[in-house]
Amino acid sequence: MIFAAAPVTPLTRIQLAWLGALVLLAQLTVASHVLPWVAAAGAALVLIRFVLAPDRLPSPRLRRLLLPLLAAAVAVAIRIKFGYLLGRDPCVAFLYVLVGIKYLETRNARDGGLLICLALFLLLTQFFYAQTIAAALLMLPALLVLGGALAALREAPADSEWKAPLVMTARMIAQGIPIAALLFIFFPRLAGPLWGMPTDAGARTGLSERMQPGTIGSLSLSDEVAFRVDFESAPPPPSLRYWRGPVLARFDGEAWTPFALLRRGQLARPAARTIDYTVTLEPHGQRWLFALEHPASMPSRTALDPAQSGGTDLAFLTFDQQLLAKAPITQAVRYAQRSSLDESFPAIDNVERRENLQLPLDRNPRTSEFARELRASVDSDRAFIAAILSKFRNEAYVYTLTPSPLGEEPVDGFLFDTKRGFCEHYASAFVVLLRAAGIPARVVTGYQGGEINPDGEYLIVRQSDAHAWAEVLLDGAWQRFDPTAAVAPSRIEHGIGAALPLTEPVPYLARLDMTWLKNLRLHWDAINYQWQRGVVGFNIDRQRNLLRDLGLGNARPWQIVALAAGVIVVWGAIVLGLARRRALRADPAAALWSLACRRLAHAGLRRSPEEGPLAYAQRAARRWPQWGALFARIGESYALLRYGPDSAQRGELIASLRASVASLPAARRLRTSS
Amino acid sequence: MLRHRRIYVLPTRRGLALIATIAIMLVASMNYALALGFALTFLIAGLVAAALLHTYRNLNGLAVSPLGAGEAFAGTELVFTLSLGNASSARQGIIVATGSERSVSVDLAAGTTQIVQLVADAPYRGRQLLGRVTLWTDFPMGLWRGWAYVHFPLSGIVYPAPEAPAPPLPPGRDGSDARKSAHAAEAELAGLRDYQRGDPLNRIAWKAVARGAGWYSKQFEGAGGRGALQLEWADMPPGLDTEARLSRLTAWVLATEREARAFALRVPGVELPMGHGAAHRRAALTALALYRAG
Repeated sequence: MIFAAAPVTPLTRIQLAWLGALVLLAQLTVASHVLPWVAAAGAALVLIRFVLAPDRLPSPRLRRLLLPLLAAAVAVAIRIKFGYLLGRDPCVAFLYVLVGIKYLETRNARDGGLLICLALFLLLTQFFYAQTIAAALLMLPALLVLGGALAALREAPADSEWKAPLVMTARMIAQGIPIAALLFIFFPRLAGPLWGMPTDAGARTGLSERMQPGTIGSLSLSDEVAFRVDFESAPPPPSLRYWRGPVLARFDGEAWTPFALLRRGQLARPAARTIDYTVTLEPHGQRWLFALEHPASMPSRTALDPAQSGGTDLAFLTFDQQLLAKAPITQAVRYAQRSSLDESFPAIDNVERRENLQLPLDRNPRTSEFARELRASVDSDRAFIAAILSKFRNEAYVYTLTPSPLGEEPVDGFLFDTKRGFCEHYASAFVVLLRAAGIPARVVTGYQGGEINPDGEYLIVRQSDAHAWAEVLLDGAWQRFDPTAAVAPSRIEHGIGAALPLTEPVPYLARLDMTWLKNLRLHWDAINYQWQRGVVGFNIDRQRNLLRDLGLGNARPWQIVALAAGVIVVWGAIVLGLARRRALRADPAAALWSLACRRLAHAGLRRSPEEGPLAYAQRAARRWPQWGALFARIGESYALLRYGPDSAQRGELIASLRASVASLPAARRLRTSS
Repeated sequence: MLRHRRIYVLPTRRGLALIATIAIMLVASMNYALALGFALTFLIAGLVAAALLHTYRNLNGLAVSPLGAGEAFAGTELVFTLSLGNASSARQGIIVATGSERSVSVDLAAGTTQIVQLVADAPYRGRQLLGRVTLWTDFPMGLWRGWAYVHFPLSGIVYPAPEAPAPPLPPGRDGSDARKSAHAAEAELAGLRDYQRGDPLNRIAWKAVARGAGWYSKQFEGAGGRGALQLEWADMPPGLDTEARLSRLTAWVLATEREARAFALRVPGVELPMGHGAAHRRAALTALALYRAG
């Protein structure tokens, strides 16, 4: 009987309104991440159901038939649009519409329960796209309405009162926060995914393995944060802030790509100037970990340990001094790092020399010709390099985000015709010139510069700081040269905002004007950084560190579970105790009276349910005559409070009742004296 | 008075569905390392845990006590009366149920007591026990069902079902029944009393009802000895079985009331002297209800 199924009754309009509000709020959180027509269709399905009168909708039976067809049609449309179905975006889009379809056909409380589960999962999917503070705030309204919808499903509300359920839910969520916090801190995290990520989950902005004219320029249009850095000591000057990323050594005449074969390398021998810092890298879906040139330690999730040189659990070092993570960076990662601020590091062997002379024979003939002639006219490699840099500096070369279109041979076109380019044009042309002259060289991409946030004293490196420079093998060592510095020295010192005129489409956080707005954004970024470090970046490493800081570093799992169980018991007792105290506040007279009754019942004199306060007080007075006056006072005050007229003396009466109840003898004393 | 400490709480079907959803969300958050996914999942888990406490609190400390049981004829319904006392803050949606399908839903404001009437089918004559009473609730969110059992030694009397239509009353002891019963209909109205469940329709003071004065039943004072009857088990036709005899005697006892006649009752094991009035009639009906052959 107890577990009998509830009778199946159609949902009332108010119940439907609660469910509709929940679904719409859940859809709202992902609406900006799905295709516009998907967003519109999913929400429209909900609105149709709620706005149209029930008799204008197709009959429930027809809906049961039609809606699976509709769902299938949507699946097909999404499949056609994306070209695949089992990825993040198509799945979220399908779920988004499915929730609307389910709402359209929801008939009874059981459908409603299923709908709630679907809506909650949809609410989760927004975090596939963004884990910002805004996203966190956006989930709260839906959570509040969740409680109202559940309560409405339990018992159809008689009126459209909506505040009380929301207040109740808010109170219950607040009561549940200790449990949520406990789980958030102690629930074991995984080091990697349980199963493979959908391929599109890693598609994010950032540097790529391929550099061709325009690649870095388009990246520079983004204000997005690439990583943030906390320095242990004073940060190095901007001209030394070269964050090494992909090293590109293969050239096909237009695009630069890395060598397929990645041999392991050795850390640079630490020079006099080393610097320690911690990088918080935003997920970019690739494997590079960025470090200042040149890394003098392996990146470490915990404290810095320069003794490790071959590789850690996080990454390994390649022969060309790239730090490569063992897996694509799909979640924010924080690592300690040491760098040696040298402009060069020793090369390994002659293989490198051969590899970095490669050029496609039949491409960019004017460039090759020019390089050979120029090399013949100077007496050393260094003089040759100086000549090229002074060519960039003295001729009419322009540093710009909007270069002119280049012809069939992009390096030729840039060097001799347009003379307008962004850093990748200069780096590429520079390396091609050197290789044509027989000097081993390669392109290095990464980030250069960054902005110190005075609010929190950390460095922000954005996508707009993306940069490409060159590395030349001279005298057995790889030496850094930055041709962009020749044409636009302020790019290196002050970022692209300083190096480009205001008419260029520089992202506004990289500009030098609009300072108050920038200050606001810097404060906001400081908050976001804390958020990123404390909440979003709370992963297995930080969990381990926190446990260690709490003195639980060596605790066994069962000990932590036992501790958590103890905390939960205490929590339950506190929440129940709070409810009692609230009752005391809500109706102090009843609470005091019940306290007195409990005391007397404990002493052996139970009040029978039909017995009034006066009669009970008399009975108590007969049993314990020595306290008769006290019992009479309690009974009379309570009777007056409960059944008497509402008078101005209510407060005094309550105070007197409280005093009387407080002076009641203990139950044990009562028992022994009767 | 009883304070039950034995409160059981288990998830409802919807609660299980939500817990399963939480588990799926948790796996998704783990796989994609979604810190905010964890946060959302655990906030919902905290809400579910808080709902458990609220469901428990809704029952905890509820004072249930028996007030009484009614009387009924077999085949009708028997009413048990309980009181639910709430010394703390408001409780909502408490469902009180007996073994039968029928249950009562109660909301209790802070510090109040409510009377609950439980209606049970009364199929057989005899003493009917209230049996186990279940108090359950799925307040506030329908995610958890908390319940507690209470037992009270509360029993009501179920009289045999009166035979209908019943043969006319047997002749009176003094053989002057016909003449006197003719007067019975004119028996004097002794007064009105509050209507009680089970009072016959033809005794209701309809004029008072029509005036809007409330529900009353007419009380007739049957003069002792006038048309007095001896109701005898042994006088029944021999073909009747026990229950049929009890049914007929019950119908006759009720008929004496209608006709305002005194009667004596003799069934094996019980002998009631001549008498009249409500107490006498109840004694007779009780004797019939509790009759045991042999």
